[in-house]
Amino acid sequence: MEQVVATIFNVLILSSMYILVALGFAFLFNMLGILNLAHGAVYMVGGYIGFALINSAGVNPWVAILIATLIMAGFGVVLERFCFRPFTGDFNRIVMVGVGINVVLQTAVNALLGTRMQALPSFFDGYLRFGVVSVSYQRITIFLIGAALLVLVSWFVRRTKHGQQMQAISQDIEGAALSGINVHRVSALACAIGSGMAALAGCLMGSYLMLSPYMGDLMLIKALVLVILAGIGSIGGIFVTGLILGGLDAVAPVIFDGAVADAIPYIVVVVVLLLRPRGFFGREA
Amino acid sequence: MNALSRFAADKTRSAGYGILVVAVILLGVIPLLMESLYSLHILVMVFFYVIAALSLRAIVISGQFPLGHAAFMGVGAYASGMAAKWLHLPPELTIPGAAVFTMIIGVMVAVSFSRLRALYYAMGSLFLGVAIIQILNAGGTWTGGYSGFSGITPMFGNSKVSWYYAALGLMILSAAALYRFEFSRIGTNMKAISQSHLVAESVGINEAKYRILAVAIGSFFVGLAGAGYAHYMGTIATSSYNFMATMWLFMYVLVGGVNNFFGPIVGSFILILIPEYFRSLKTYSPFISAGILFLFVYLMPGGFAGLIQAAVARVKSWRRERARDVAAD
Repeated sequence: MEQVVATIFNVLILSSMYILVALGFAFLFNMLGILNLAHGAVYMVGGYIGFALINSAGVNPWVAILIATLIMAGFGVVLERFCFRPFTGDFNRIVMVGVGINVVLQTAVNALLGTRMQALPSFFDGYLRFGVVSVSYQRITIFLIGAALLVLVSWFVRRTKHGQQMQAISQDIEGAALSGINVHRVSALACAIGSGMAALAGCLMGSYLMLSPYMGDLMLIKALVLVILAGIGSIGGIFVTGLILGGLDAVAPVIFDGAVADAIPYIVVVVVLLLRPRGFFGREA
Repeated sequence: MNALSRFAADKTRSAGYGILVVAVILLGVIPLLMESLYSLHILVMVFFYVIAALSLRAIVISGQFPLGHAAFMGVGAYASGMAAKWLHLPPELTIPGAAVFTMIIGVMVAVSFSRLRALYYAMGSLFLGVAIIQILNAGGTWTGGYSGFSGITPMFGNSKVSWYYAALGLMILSAAALYRFEFSRIGTNMKAISQSHLVAESVGINEAKYRILAVAIGSFFVGLAGAGYAHYMGTIATSSYNFMATMWLFMYVLVGGVNNFFGPIVGSFILILIPEYFRSLKTYSPFISAGILFLFVYLMPGGFAGLIQAAVARVKSWRRERARDVAAD
């Protein structure tokens, strides 16, 4: 029973973190076809900024997470303006820029903070006891923040003006521009929101698991899995694929041992892609 | 006029051959001039990565982006290493065997992914590459798992100079084979497919067949590079074949210039040798690689080959202008 509840919470936390990172990636990918290879590094740096603020500057954890989110959102604007906008439509150069940014951020973290694994301190101590089952407040908080943010983002995409403009651009970029949508401004906003969400997920994951300078590479691949399995152009599908991948990642280690458990999700993904090349909810390619 | 332009083309072509011969001779005499074994070691690595980058470009010219290409280098490396260590086969047999094995795996993948086009093929091969790496990690004592696979049968008594000439020869042979391949009818058909698969099919080019063929050729040579590399190093780890490793292979191709056959060769030399020269910076040395990437992205969009082409074009137009001025006088 204990393990079942713990696994359910693992599924929920992992899924919400994967979805948070993948949504930010999907915004740019769906709208402008930009393969943002720096997204994983943004997620990693967000976590490390939170860590540095809490540990070295002694900032309140909540304030630290907020600052980290805002810094990386600002970085997202810079990224869009100087690294992606000049090369829109040029796949090769966007990939090169992404790898370059990735290397710069990883090396900077390595040089400044060392390659040791670090962890953010927990925000809450204690456990919520429920009969024989106990769940730490820490995990509940992480899940609640992630879930609240996901609700907020889906509301933003579906109901607000800028969100609907983003959807319009991902359907038809020229039509959107012709009907008066400022494509550059909306994509800068999308990159800022995406980077901010990634940074926040980095902070939360840093207190749930550990921080390492190379954790971004793995998260980038997870984000790609979510976006491709959902189908290019689908935002809602990411929530479904996020739950599937989070479930696989959380349940597989319970049944199989270490390395085998790491392999299973990817084998499943390859098989699914063979059966449904367009993903679950993708439009016609 | 026609004879004149043909003469000019012949002249640039023979200039190109001249540069090539000089480069090969230079690479051939380096071990005689250089005492440092470490420098030879770096050059041997460059030769293996040149083969890998060239094989990647062989697939890219058919309009496909195999984002899991480095994993196939890993397949070649592990296949050869495991056959040599556990079956006690001689490396002379396992290296070509591993290349063929990698080609078979590549063809199986290409056939199953032949429905996927462009971006979806890229993603399919990316996830497959990750899956291959994870399966190798899960291999227990057979593959060494996360801690790496060691004890691979050495060749040439581990003499660096012998390895240098072997790797150089392998690189020249592979480059020659891939050059013939690209400028044959098959290569031309592949370039046609990458420009427009609809037009290519309408003139009778079997799209799926040529795309599978491109993957087969690319997988063979990347498997060869991986197998040679494994026997040279003696120890391999899955982390050298992950997603970022594939991205670096792409960087070698793009920095050299994807539109030119010699691009990947030049790109590998630039991106491996220059950061290596600054290795005294220790933790900061990856900044050099990133700096090179930014330099090429912002200033040389066509890569190194594009830079040379632009320079040649400028010299030619300058000459033509001067000839016209002389004629006007």
